[in-house]
Amino acid sequence: MFKIFKKELKAFLKDRRAVMLTFLLPAILISVFSLAFGGAGGDDSIEKIPLLVCDQDNSKITKQTINDIDSVKMIDVIPCTFDSAIDLIKRGKKASLLVFHKGFADSVAAMRHLPWEFQYDAAKPQETGVLQSLLSRTVYGSVGKFMAKNAIIKNIDKQSPGMDSATRKAVIAKVIANQESGNSTGGTNLEAVIKLQTVSVISTKTGNLGLVQAVAGTAVMMLLFSLTGMGGGLLDEKEQGTLKRLLYSPVHPAEILLGKMAASILVASVQLTFMFAFSSVIFHLHIADKVLPLGILIFATAFACSGFGLLLATFAKSRQQLQSMSTLIILSMSVIGGSMVPTFIMPQWMQNISVISINYWSIQGFYDILWRELPIGVTFLTKVGVLLAIGATFTLLAFRLFRKNVLALD
Amino acid sequence: MIDVKNIQKSYGDIHAVKGISFFISTGECYGLLGPNGAGKSTTINMLSTLFPPDAGEILINGLDIKKSPEEVKKILGVVPQEIALYSNFTAWENMLFWGGLHSLKSNELQKKAEELLQLVGLLDRKNEKIKGYSGGMKRRINLACALLHSPKILLLDEPTVGVDPQSRNMIFELIESLNKQGMTIIYTTHYMEEAERLCDRIGIIDSGVIVAQGTLDELKKQSEIKDVIVMQCNQSPDESAIAAKLNLEVKVTDHTIYIQTDNSKKDLTRCVISCSEAGYEIHHIDIQKANLENVFLKMTGKQLRD
Repeated sequence: MFKIFKKELKAFLKDRRAVMLTFLLPAILISVFSLAFGGAGGDDSIEKIPLLVCDQDNSKITKQTINDIDSVKMIDVIPCTFDSAIDLIKRGKKASLLVFHKGFADSVAAMRHLPWEFQYDAAKPQETGVLQSLLSRTVYGSVGKFMAKNAIIKNIDKQSPGMDSATRKAVIAKVIANQESGNSTGGTNLEAVIKLQTVSVISTKTGNLGLVQAVAGTAVMMLLFSLTGMGGGLLDEKEQGTLKRLLYSPVHPAEILLGKMAASILVASVQLTFMFAFSSVIFHLHIADKVLPLGILIFATAFACSGFGLLLATFAKSRQQLQSMSTLIILSMSVIGGSMVPTFIMPQWMQNISVISINYWSIQGFYDILWRELPIGVTFLTKVGVLLAIGATFTLLAFRLFRKNVLALD
Repeated sequence: MIDVKNIQKSYGDIHAVKGISFFISTGECYGLLGPNGAGKSTTINMLSTLFPPDAGEILINGLDIKKSPEEVKKILGVVPQEIALYSNFTAWENMLFWGGLHSLKSNELQKKAEELLQLVGLLDRKNEKIKGYSGGMKRRINLACALLHSPKILLLDEPTVGVDPQSRNMIFELIESLNKQGMTIIYTTHYMEEAERLCDRIGIIDSGVIVAQGTLDELKKQSEIKDVIVMQCNQSPDESAIAAKLNLEVKVTDHTIYIQTDNSKKDLTRCVISCSEAGYEIHHIDIQKANLENVFLKMTGKQLRD
């Protein structure tokens, strides 16, 4: 038994691929997952969260409040008009907007309910959640104080008319000090008056963010796996000699790769279409009126993923090498690109690097169509363009590697 | 038809082919005989335009393979050493696919595929997947797929590896028939008997060079290998007396006499009479014909299957 045990260990250690799969692959995947979920690796420096601010009241109190918000270390105030702000949120460029409607200053003076609202992109709940919490604190500290002071003065003047100026000033200061220490609210329910109205910019009538995320994320990841497998057919052809036989025929080597690429794109397009049709029928994903943009994005995704599969296949020396390499790359790309977990729950620096993955551009494109319900415009076409550019780059590289690695038959 | 002039090919530091030259006429069957690693497949790959030689020139039907590879491919049929077929496809699907690459018209291709399947004895099993075929059947389809576009030249790279005797015979008969119809054939093998049976001329290749080439008789002459008549007698014959009488090279060991001759058929009677007249009783006669094995051994100093 000991001899068998020893032989098994020796065989295992001699198999570099098995050793790599046993130790290196899990280590890399654990690192990627940990980083994605923010559990490790991130620095503690504070990333500023952008907040679009639209001041329609343009009063002294709104300017003061905006200054107070801007002074918060974590908030980056970006002044803009209402329409452009909504457009930016719809396109997924920014997540939050604070609107001071006309009459804000009057409402503050009259202690009426404040006409302001916080509009947000529900696809970025982490970012908007933090902002809402910071805003509440800041606004209570500025507008709240101002309103409380007004209420106190009004109350004192009402209860003790004719008080001399010095006594009045002293009484007011004492009551304000009490109010700040939490002993009094000046007799007004400030929380209800100041309450910030929150509105999701994207209608939730047809879209379901969770469903869109699940379908798009899974579809792209599965596509990458299946197309890498398909690209691996090239290595099988090399091993079995059919590639050599193809080269004996009058077919140009480039045609072999192009033929494989075209088949790969078709299969990928059908696979993605099936996945969305399935989700539509079973989970009622609303796609009926989005066929054109969906078709465009499906093609772009299929092209990028096919290029990726072909590139890996022309890079790898054997089926086994391709398998371990693709598992590592696809899982990593899927984690950072938002296939496994939405990018918005990742640390900001991870979100920044997620753009290097195919998954990111494709999933964001599906968000644009199915969640943000954007028309075919610059935002959507940019994602399509990036996917096509990725596909073209990968295909060109695959052609180079095909000549260098695959056509070197002997 | 095929003019190979001093071609060379290296892979890094390994010189696979070190200056090979030969000429093959139309309708000739030329054998490249050599052990594994001799450079046969590299030569075939260069001839089939898979890659160009590092030096030298190959002209096929007057076309330089470097300048007109696409034109050359049209007249070449190549049977690779591997079973280069799609195992999940049926024989029929494979035939249509490989033939289709040569832009044959659909009805023409189907007719040719049926004809070839009939020739290789697999027409009734054309709709079975290749993966269910025996090794010999796969080899037959492998050959048939190279003939769909009716090539003028057929390159066969060890087409009978791992083949049962029935399939081997069928392949030989097909090659002989194609050759009779005027097809030029290059056949690589490390089986002497195949080269002897099929080839008009043979090139003996070893370590990337052709050490000798010609017909079997020419090779025998070049290597000075002769037939040997072996006679076992009742007593030890007198070597010099027999040699003088026959005017042939004679060697005696114990009671056995070995007589070397260019033509054993012609000299056999003379040898028997001489021994009998000298008073020796002959118990056993054997003729060891000069063959490629002896020639190869003599030329290269090694066995073909080393």
